Amino acid sequence: MRPEQIERVLDRILLKAERPGRYVGGEYNSIVKDWDATDLRVALAFPDIYDLGMSNLGVMILYEQLNQQPDILAERVFSPWVDMEALMRAEGLPLYSLETKHAIRDFDLLGISLPYEQLYTNALNLLDLAGMPVRSEDRDSTYPLVVAGGHACFNPEPVADFIDAFVIGEGEEIIVEVAHCVQALRGQSREELLRAVAGIQGMYVPRFYDVTYHRDGTVADIIPNRPDVPERVLKRIVRVLPPPFTRFLVPNIDTVHNRAPVEIMRGCTRGCRFCHAGMVTRPVRERPVPEVLEAIGKITASTGFEEISLLSLSSSDYGQVHELVSAIHDEFGEAGLSMSLPSLRIETASAELLSKLGDTRRSGFTFAPEAATERMRNLINKYVPTEQVLQTARDVYAGGWRTIKFYFMIGHPEETIDDVWGIIDLCKAVLREGRKELGNKANVNVGVSTFIPKPHTPFQWVPQDSREQVLEKQRLLKRELRGPGLHLRWNDIESSEFEGFLSRGDRRLGQVVQRAWELGCTFDAWQDRHYHDRWLQAFEEAGLHPDFYNHRTRGDHEVFPWEHIDVAVHRKFLLQDYQMSLKGETRIDCRDKCFACGILPKFTKTRSQTAASAWECPPVRPIAERKRAANVTLMP
Amino acid sequence: MSQNPARQRLRITFGKFAAMKYTSNLDVAKIWERVLRRADLPLLYSQGFNTRPRLQLATALPLGITSECELLDVSLRQRIPLDDVPQQLRDVSPDGLEIYSVEEVPVTSAALQTRVRSAHYVVTFEECVPDLDQRVAGLLAKHRILRTIQRKRRSVEKDLRPLINELKSGDPQVLQMHVAVGDRGNLRPRDVLEELDLHESWHRVHRHRLVLAETEEVTCN
Repeated sequence: MRPEQIERVLDRILLKAERPGRYVGGEYNSIVKDWDATDLRVALAFPDIYDLGMSNLGVMILYEQLNQQPDILAERVFSPWVDMEALMRAEGLPLYSLETKHAIRDFDLLGISLPYEQLYTNALNLLDLAGMPVRSEDRDSTYPLVVAGGHACFNPEPVADFIDAFVIGEGEEIIVEVAHCVQALRGQSREELLRAVAGIQGMYVPRFYDVTYHRDGTVADIIPNRPDVPERVLKRIVRVLPPPFTRFLVPNIDTVHNRAPVEIMRGCTRGCRFCHAGMVTRPVRERPVPEVLEAIGKITASTGFEEISLLSLSSSDYGQVHELVSAIHDEFGEAGLSMSLPSLRIETASAELLSKLGDTRRSGFTFAPEAATERMRNLINKYVPTEQVLQTARDVYAGGWRTIKFYFMIGHPEETIDDVWGIIDLCKAVLREGRKELGNKANVNVGVSTFIPKPHTPFQWVPQDSREQVLEKQRLLKRELRGPGLHLRWNDIESSEFEGFLSRGDRRLGQVVQRAWELGCTFDAWQDRHYHDRWLQAFEEAGLHPDFYNHRTRGDHEVFPWEHIDVAVHRKFLLQDYQMSLKGETRIDCRDKCFACGILPKFTKTRSQTAASAWECPPVRPIAERKRAANVTLMP
Repeated sequence: MSQNPARQRLRITFGKFAAMKYTSNLDVAKIWERVLRRADLPLLYSQGFNTRPRLQLATALPLGITSECELLDVSLRQRIPLDDVPQQLRDVSPDGLEIYSVEEVPVTSAALQTRVRSAHYVVTFEECVPDLDQRVAGLLAKHRILRTIQRKRRSVEKDLRPLINELKSGDPQVLQMHVAVGDRGNLRPRDVLEELDLHESWHRVHRHRLVLAETEEVTCN
């Protein structure tokens, strides 16, 4: 269908859809290039609704990177909500891009963002709405090349059947290389294009790898079926963070986050053992303060946004957090700009920092102690003394903020009911501190999530806690954490099971994902739209069982379905860390001591080309220099 | 702070087209906030917990309707020359938001919302409605057009007839309407189309004139 036809249909049906502003584009700062005059066309998809997708920084970065190229255009597409999907299907309206209303089928490249596993069925649905077969093998070169990237893709196997190629790691540079590759090989067969794509460092093309299984269902081997692809695909990283994205699209309708994010740091040095992001985004690279300030100036001028969010995995670990926050306050406070600093660590959230961050709009602060007993804190390697939690709580309440939100995690198999009682006692103690300052106005909001072991983390060997255990722990929390001033939120058990099997699933899950989608599963991230029974049915039809993926302790030597994906953290480092966890041993912040996780040997060359201060990993010297240094010390 | 801190009030006449017609009144207020911040005008912010610039939109435009006569009042904390303001605003406006004029109005003038009385719309049907004239005549001939409206727990009967100032066709594809708008009585084009049983026919609606009380009237073109 031509864009004019698509627009005509839209004009007729859009007012029947809820929030039609989701489907029309036209935002300030959106980039509309001349379709006919641009050689290579890329559609960037976030497989959830506009309201969520527009807040995704990753998609925006790629949008800009691609559109900066004179011969490439990039346009956006999101999942239509179920009402719009029904209208589109009834009218035979194919999925189209927001910028020029071209059918997605007419693009050369479709990039799908997969930051979390719950989006898999939506990704399939996007392909289907675009009029494309969902399976990679059924799409020839007349279809756009389908590439996916994002954190979920560090275990790409459950969706390996549907995606032509995965970006492993950071997408800023590689996406442009892939686009140019598609451009150079236009007219060639899909197989040939994929061979070329597989040659780009950081690209994984699943069809070039064969997976074999043991009789017990565990993976025996994952081996390339071509000589010219790497045995393991090493993730791609950027040496230093590219200049921050500043020309944010300003949505015409309300979206989830009405603020502009600025990434101040990538990676985290804390080494919390449950944390997927902390393991896969190494090394830590900080953005210099002046660069952040300049970006904020540009963002406010080009968007008019009233709030800036400073993004990182652990913002208060940012080396110059005080300087940064003060400078933002001084430079932009007058203009009515407010800032948020998510992911504050309790021990670094000083009263001074809190007062700089807190403005009249803020009702409180959020912290994630994760565990409340000494034993569990050591086990997960996130050690924060209880007295520290209480002190920070006193500072927050004394500052006049009424609400503290805590994130805790339950469901590590080593966790006992006593550890859960620890969470309850700590929350109540914090509320008592609040009452001393604010009386009945003090609040503690408690979010208790269920631990899901993630690939590439020290806990990748660990089983998920049993359904009965989790329910019992949740029952206790619900019974105890209630009453005035206490608000508890928890994860639905089925959502956790679901996230679990997709997180550590193997390639065989492809048939489960596809079948679940055929049974009508989409928007699985939306709790009221997650139909667990359909997933169980899909498992049964495939002859597989969720428990195999969720509730089994993996052997030390088991080959993982993601074994061929190399995040540059050694398996033996992770295993050692796992074994340490069982003994209650911890590791300190690796800014203070390098534990040789594997980043430096894998990226020796990159590191040696980078300024010492640009990474938190210690600098490496070229081998020649190291030898010289060694000789010097050896000489008497 | 009993003194009015506004030093200048601007009245902006603007239009909504293209994607902009799918934005609600609340969204439009937000879009304007950001346009004005990008243009770096010395906005006056409200005091309190959630500080916002002081903006007043004359009246809501129902979703899906284009317009060339929307009004917005903006309070400034200091006086500025107005000559360049329209262009400054155009430079930072999203597609579909047209800026026609910026005039100064007294800071003490009554709130715009309280002064809107009626609006003129033109409805264009995608396909001819052969009996459009008869339908219009039939509706206008009624002394009362009763509608039952659900208000919280009770339902209220409302007579729409007094809210229709004028309704005319000529071209079987075009319907002109002049209907009440504002806090003294409000009629949406869709209400009229429903009474004519034409709401399901594919059509476009455009608002081209707003009428304010006290003989102050705004027209564009």
